[in-house]
Amino acid sequence: MESRRDYLNRLADIDARIEQARVGPDVVLARAAGLLAGRAGCRVDEAHAHLLEMAAEQGRAAQEVAAELLAAAESRTRVGPDRLRAVVEGTFGEAPRADRGLGRPVSGLRPAPADWAAVVQQVLDVTPGRHVVLVPVRRGTGGLAGTGAEGGGVADPEIEGAGTAGADTGNPCVGVGDGGGGATAADSEDVEDSEDVEDYVFVAVSPSVVDMSGRRGAQIVGRRVSEIYPAIVGGVVWEAWRDAIADGTPREVGPISYVSPADHAPVDVSLTVRVHPIGDGLLNSWVRHDEEMRLSERMAYTERLGNLGWGEWDLVTGKIIWSEGLYRIYERDPADGPMPSEESEALTLPEDVPLRLQAVERFGRGEAVDMVYRIRIGGGIKHIRAIADADRDSDGRPVKVYGIIQDVTARETSRVRLTEVERQLREHRRSLAAEHRLTVQLQQIVLPVPDAPVDLPGLRFAVRYMPAEQASRVGGDWYHAAVAGDGSVILAVGDIAGHGLHAAASMARLRHALDALTVTTTSRPAELLSFLNRLLYSGSPAADAMPVTATAAVARYDPSTGELVWAQAGHPAPLRTRGGVTAELNRPRGPLLGAFPDARYTTATTTLRPGDLLLFYTDGLIEQRDRSMEEGLAPVVATLDRISAEGGEHPLADLLAQLHHANPDDDACILVARPLAPPGGGAEQGGDGHG
Amino acid sequence: MDAVSIGTAVQDTLDVVLRGEIDFTNAAWIGQTVRTAVADRRPASVRVEMAEVAFLDSAGVGVLVEIMKAAEAAGAAFRVEHPSSRVLDQLRTAGLLAAFGLA
Repeated sequence: MESRRDYLNRLADIDARIEQARVGPDVVLARAAGLLAGRAGCRVDEAHAHLLEMAAEQGRAAQEVAAELLAAAESRTRVGPDRLRAVVEGTFGEAPRADRGLGRPVSGLRPAPADWAAVVQQVLDVTPGRHVVLVPVRRGTGGLAGTGAEGGGVADPEIEGAGTAGADTGNPCVGVGDGGGGATAADSEDVEDSEDVEDYVFVAVSPSVVDMSGRRGAQIVGRRVSEIYPAIVGGVVWEAWRDAIADGTPREVGPISYVSPADHAPVDVSLTVRVHPIGDGLLNSWVRHDEEMRLSERMAYTERLGNLGWGEWDLVTGKIIWSEGLYRIYERDPADGPMPSEESEALTLPEDVPLRLQAVERFGRGEAVDMVYRIRIGGGIKHIRAIADADRDSDGRPVKVYGIIQDVTARETSRVRLTEVERQLREHRRSLAAEHRLTVQLQQIVLPVPDAPVDLPGLRFAVRYMPAEQASRVGGDWYHAAVAGDGSVILAVGDIAGHGLHAAASMARLRHALDALTVTTTSRPAELLSFLNRLLYSGSPAADAMPVTATAAVARYDPSTGELVWAQAGHPAPLRTRGGVTAELNRPRGPLLGAFPDARYTTATTTLRPGDLLLFYTDGLIEQRDRSMEEGLAPVVATLDRISAEGGEHPLADLLAQLHHANPDDDACILVARPLAPPGGGAEQGGDGHG
Repeated sequence: MDAVSIGTAVQDTLDVVLRGEIDFTNAAWIGQTVRTAVADRRPASVRVEMAEVAFLDSAGVGVLVEIMKAAEAAGAAFRVEHPSSRVLDQLRTAGLLAAFGLA
């Protein structure tokens, strides 16, 4: 396959580069230190120090020792490329090539066993995955099949260190290289004769192998299978080994159930074992199904729970790997494989492209990326949180990019929704404030309140309107003071039930109707109320569901006589103050407006004298929820009494200044008036014009 | 407790029990509730129990008028019972005692 050829090419490239680098003594020393470090699993500088120490002990130049070490090592790896190829192909399970001879992939190249075992170990050291290589032990010889007990010693437990050779040149892994030289093609018949195999011994183990008893590579190499894995002896794997040796063909066994020896808690695991004949031995790879299942299930579960997916992009090979979760997030069929990166980038919403570019820039600086952006998938929009980091080479160039992708749409959506609700609340608050302003403005337009007392024929009046503090409660209080068509003066106050724009609009309608009626139709208070009642009763409240009723008091003042005729519709009677004493005028009958289709209103008549004060009010002035109406009225009466008794020059202005808004929850309207001329044409006229 | 509850109609009388403060904040809702009940049950009379009402504002008075109109439209008698003296004063001022059966 392509990737395998690439991999082999890369191996060759590396080799070639190493060849080119084989120059000065320093390089030799460095290489030897590197080799040593690789074998011993220590750091390069430690290996380097060890080499120098060794050289000092032997009284030789360090480079010389290093060259010797390399020569010893390379004497076995000189044929390396072919052997590497063999092992790599064995590992990846490529079918034997025709030119190698069917079923005998590597026989012609079979090297000396000890040498071979060391090479295999080297390969396993750098090959991903978990593999072991074992060779058969022949009955009767007590030694290894095909090697002769005397020669290799690979099976000798003493050489456990084969994969971790020390610097000591006496170490078997360096020194015994040619010991098994006889075991080459000449032994091929022996290999086929698998019947006399009595055991197998491990000659190479991947560094990542940890068996179920906790043994690692170095503790396994050199041990016999019967010794550490007795359960295998005679079992299906054992048979597979025998058959593989017999026919030289790779095979797979399993899934099989394997119970580990009881030195630790016995564990029953399910395995698939792959067996490849290589050289004189067998390369074994295995997959623990339970583990894999457990891991992949757990991973899938985690992915599902967290709406997560992960991906990898190998920049060297160009290979992209997607997890199951990633396919789910991108709504892509796993059968189609991962989406090419340019395609997945194209899903980003145009508005979020700058975000991505910023992230790429950060990534370029060597930083990990954590960003949220939006992609368009299947007609919908998903919010994606991406966390990306890379494996980098020593120059900081990314070699492999890892990404964790989380679908945070739900979270983002609720966040967005919350923001939207907040916005609406703010808007609502603004619109309430706007309604308040509008209501107040409407009230001011419909009901302009003069800021100083105003003179009408024979009468001076002043008005104060006190809007409710709360926006929604600004309501429908109104007043009217004007000369009627017959020259009389009409004074009125009213109160529309309810508050807000609707009440204000009703108020406007009622007040304008009153104004028109007084000019064109009648100045009689009872008739006026009757008309207003009909107007209100017929007006449909359906549009707003708020009941439309209203109260009002209407008076007609005759400036020539001082006579005051008045009527009311469910409204408090006006107060008259005379000589420091305040009293409600006797109240004629009359129900509130809008309740009955044919309500009848009667009138009462009184006469105003000079010095009298007359107060019309709406109940916002006195209405308090925890007091009776009499109690609420008392301070108003006291104020009127006092101002009247004081006999000041500006009683109307004083009154407006001193009457308080008892109920800030409701609006209130007060109209105060006093006659300017005594009835019957007295001399007193107008005063100073300021009330 | 809700400001309004509708009792089961006994002998064709729909009992409407109002409580607390009846004002512009709940008037529209109370009116709607009672209108619906009257339309559904078609009682011969509607009785509004006011003993637990502490306060009415102008919208509260308005909603009583609305209930009265709904009863009239359904051909039912209408009366208000046990208002506090404060509420009675308000209803007197509004000119509603006779119509509410309180005169």
